[in-house]
Amino acid sequence: YTKPAPEKLAYESSIAKACGVNPQTRILAFKPAAPESNKPIDLRSQYNRPLKPANSLSAQFRRRILTSPERVLDAPNIVDDYYLNVLDWSCNNQVAIGLGSSVYVWSAESGGVSSLLETSPEQHVSSLKWSNDGAFVSVGLSTGEVQIWDVEDQQKVRSMFGHETRVGVMAWNKHLLTTGARNGWMFNHDVRIANHKTATLDCHTGEICGLDWRSDGSQLAAGGNDNLVSIWDARALNAPKFQKTNHTAAVKALSWCPWTHNLLATGGGSHDRHIHFWNTTTGARVNSIDTGSQVTSLNWSTQYKEIASTSGFPDNSISVWSYPSLVKNIEIPAHESRVLHSCLSPDGQTLATAAADESLKFWKIFEKKPGSASG
Amino acid sequence: MEKSRTKESSSRGDGSKKDKANTHKLALKGSSKMVSEFFEYSINSILYQRGVYPAEDFHAVKKYGLNMLVTSDDQVKAYIKKIMSQLNKWMVGQKISKLVIVFTGKETGDHVERWQFDVQLNKSSKGKSSSRSADKENTAPAGDAEAPPSDEQIQGAIRALFRQITASVTFLPELTEPCTFNVLVYADADSEVPVEWGDSDAKEIDGGEKVKLRSFSTTNHRVDTMVSYKLDD
Repeated sequence: YTKPAPEKLAYESSIAKACGVNPQTRILAFKPAAPESNKPIDLRSQYNRPLKPANSLSAQFRRRILTSPERVLDAPNIVDDYYLNVLDWSCNNQVAIGLGSSVYVWSAESGGVSSLLETSPEQHVSSLKWSNDGAFVSVGLSTGEVQIWDVEDQQKVRSMFGHETRVGVMAWNKHLLTTGARNGWMFNHDVRIANHKTATLDCHTGEICGLDWRSDGSQLAAGGNDNLVSIWDARALNAPKFQKTNHTAAVKALSWCPWTHNLLATGGGSHDRHIHFWNTTTGARVNSIDTGSQVTSLNWSTQYKEIASTSGFPDNSISVWSYPSLVKNIEIPAHESRVLHSCLSPDGQTLATAAADESLKFWKIFEKKPGSASG
Repeated sequence: MEKSRTKESSSRGDGSKKDKANTHKLALKGSSKMVSEFFEYSINSILYQRGVYPAEDFHAVKKYGLNMLVTSDDQVKAYIKKIMSQLNKWMVGQKISKLVIVFTGKETGDHVERWQFDVQLNKSSKGKSSSRSADKENTAPAGDAEAPPSDEQIQGAIRALFRQITASVTFLPELTEPCTFNVLVYADADSEVPVEWGDSDAKEIDGGEKVKLRSFSTTNHRVDTMVSYKLDD
């Protein structure tokens, strides 16, 4: 080894400088090779990995849920309006749907369709609801009129007036029909008597879009576009028993738990995305789920301790949650656009969903286990 | 007093650098340790994030107020430990200016991702360039900017950086082929080099995209982080 001439060193350093290499530094690499990993790596699961191991439900105990619809029907002209409620399934297994200014009744047994009514084209059907015995359907119109129709005779029984704004939601409690209107007013109608209006329930300042009587008729829950949930005692209708302000968007989705009578589930709109669960005796919030999207409807299963929610943006899906563990059992991408309405079949097995993509789909998500006792 | 001393040594030749190391040995040691520790967690974190080893091989520990993922695989642990112990020595001796982690496809041998940590001695922090031109500043009382960051601040800055490293998965392309990794350092020419380390090229990514992440400073060091990656064709 001979010492390099100084001019050669100078030359090298000037070359190095020109190339942007600093001759003062050396780049060193750690020579031993990194240990190999033989196991296959799925980055996706890596990013989603919860810090706690997911031991809650292993696959073999989870029940299988059908993810494809059993039947798809056309729903042309369905009004894409979150605040309306134009789908209902009666105890006689008939589905009523409001499409634009018409109401159609589809029999789930025979598959036959009949057009029940058609209003003038400048108004549209904004809500409908079967009476508890399935003999009548009440229809709310965009003008504020409420009609009662006998389905067997295909005859209008009566029209009830009083609301000045459109009636977007209604709920039956025996002979009592509660209607909610756009200006936030709710009326109780006794449909048997001439002077039908028996009570005014006034606490909402925005459109009423969710309304449901508890199955025993002792409590009524209402949700409004003023982000309020109000819970009423049937015996004291001058003021709500509880007013809940937790939701930060309109509350359309409301559902009473079939096996715990004082348990109410409510779901908020796109700015809120939560499902809250309430004990309506104490007024306490007992559980919450952040669903990640607009909650458009909620339906409890009677056979499983589960609740199904439907959503808008971004997934337009049906999710099934266990209660009270709040584990999401499945999420089914259901529609091309937001799911507007949903209702359960009388046997509690099938969920019908109607969406702005003009289709009505039937999902057997709560299918009875073969051999299990009738629920 | 200490501060002005630090400044004097900033207008150093290579000889005065060593003196400086002696006078501030304690502070520098602590600072070096902090930076090395940061490197250790970074390597672990990046190996986890980029899926070089499966997620089951990592466990979470609390550090910097975050859940940091650290390998539990004995081989990987030993490998990182070997690197870190040498790195520690170089850090204390101020021999290192860069630490680089390069991901290389096992099949193709292409470098696909390169994480670079630049280490600068903070001796003169902000005043460095100006004090060069005007030595008078050395006598001036230290400004606010000279105050060394508190422990809390350093932790906060490191935490923010780790959050950023974690968030980088949103833009980094997925490593589709199985990868291995290499650790490089840019060391001073006069560094002692143990047998396990050898000269290497920079393993730069040709035509790579570069993203600079946050920096943090300790009492004596400043660490800048940059990731470069191959854009999808």
